[in-house]
Amino acid sequence: MSISTRAMAAQRQADLPAASIPQSQRTVKGTVLSIATVVIALLAWEVIARLKHSVYVPSVTQIAITFWHEWFSATFRDQAVPSLYRMFFGYIIAAVCGVTVGVIVGYYRFMFRLLDPVLQYWRATPATAIIPVGILLIGIGDEMKILVIAFGAVWPILINSADGARLVPRERLETARVFGLTSFETLRRVVVPSAMPQIAAGMRTGLAIAFILIVVSEMIGSTNGIGYYVLQAQRTFAIPEMYGGVILLAILGFTLNTVFVFVESKVLGWHYGQSARTR
Amino acid sequence: MARQKLLRVNVPGIAFVIGCIVVFEITARLGWLTSYVPPPSIIFVALGQGLINGEISSQIGATLHAYFIGLALATCLAVTLGILMGTYQPVQDAFKMVVEFMRPVPSVAMIPLAILFLGLGVQMRVAVITYAAFWPLLISTLYGVRGIDPQALDVARNFGITGAEALWRVTLPSALTGIMTGFRVSATIALVVTVTTELIAGNSGIGFYISQMEQANRLPPMYAAIILTGILGFLLNAMFFQLDRRIVFWTPAAQDKPA
Repeated sequence: MSISTRAMAAQRQADLPAASIPQSQRTVKGTVLSIATVVIALLAWEVIARLKHSVYVPSVTQIAITFWHEWFSATFRDQAVPSLYRMFFGYIIAAVCGVTVGVIVGYYRFMFRLLDPVLQYWRATPATAIIPVGILLIGIGDEMKILVIAFGAVWPILINSADGARLVPRERLETARVFGLTSFETLRRVVVPSAMPQIAAGMRTGLAIAFILIVVSEMIGSTNGIGYYVLQAQRTFAIPEMYGGVILLAILGFTLNTVFVFVESKVLGWHYGQSARTR
Repeated sequence: MARQKLLRVNVPGIAFVIGCIVVFEITARLGWLTSYVPPPSIIFVALGQGLINGEISSQIGATLHAYFIGLALATCLAVTLGILMGTYQPVQDAFKMVVEFMRPVPSVAMIPLAILFLGLGVQMRVAVITYAAFWPLLISTLYGVRGIDPQALDVARNFGITGAEALWRVTLPSALTGIMTGFRVSATIALVVTVTTELIAGNSGIGFYISQMEQANRLPPMYAAIILTGILGFLLNAMFFQLDRRIVFWTPAAQDKPA
């Protein structure tokens, strides 16, 4: 490998997808324009759908009505709730294992060198490719999905935590030594807090992967869940239901990301404030 | 410098990998694992055979074909829209809310929609890959355009470079760092989506091969193909990493010499 691990770590940090589009100054005209585009697009869809009577493109109102009937009813409990709790458990396992192992691996240089090739390999493997193995070994129950999500989401969390712990500024570690902190205390009071932004970044990537994995694992092997629902709707030509499912996934994806960013800003506000001051 | 670094191999790391494979081999041979997990030696033989007789290697071609077309399409579209949005405020205003609505839709949720319109062929996969790779590129192009030194644009204007020429000669090169960052994120996502789409509803490609082998209960080739996706991901990643350093050679990350 001719690439230094530090450069790789810097690159990984740069590789994190941005949270949203950059903020620009809000003007009344701008806001009107952005709302107008959405309204015009929806109207155009409605008109075209009504004129063409295509089975594939139901009108916006029809999709909205279907969405209302489907998701504000028992369907939500039967299809969306299982997806959410599988994802939740899988993600929690990934987060706990990823952060714990990651910080330890990053803190002890030798551990990092030992595990680096394995980590690089699993990071590069498309997580969804392991779903067939999960189905073979565990079947198509909840355990399979939870484990597949945990396995897929753990690598970005682990690698980012390891990077965060590995690249703690030396002064902080030396200060800890001056104060006579033990190895464990240093880990808990210096390394983990300093690695927090990186850990959070890894957890955000992990969340996105967990979301993809729950949808895909339900599409491939399941008897319920949103992924199953959407694919089944397409196969049975329940087209408005399919669109409704896609919209629900969009809302869930958006909500998860928003909640995560909100919690992150609450938990890590002190950190960003501090680094902004010293910069 | 680079050559020395190349020679410095991570001995403990590689030893650990080999150790794991050996332990795995022994436990599998002793029958401590389920019959669903063949020993690594059999998997590697299957991988070698598949690569030589073309059973697996032909699928790599199909996968990379869809992958590169999708990624290239996404790059062209996202960079163009990103530069226009970043430069002209009305364009940004017009598309902003649409982007915020569309972006959170997980790309895999688009698979049923794409099947409906495009069937199970390559076009369907390319469409989903393009969709998935589009968003990170768009956002980072926007950030790249935002970060342009205003003086550069002023200087260009003094030399009479305006409009499309300024976009091409000043904005695009300045935004290149941002674009490349987005490109690598997109490249990773695109591979995941390529394999996933093939797995769910493909008719060729490595993902398709994996699901075929699973259904045929031919496990060694299935595991071989899964291992191959990881190798492919690793190689593509390394390739784009180097490409990035060559293209935007002036950034600090690219100049960070191996320590």
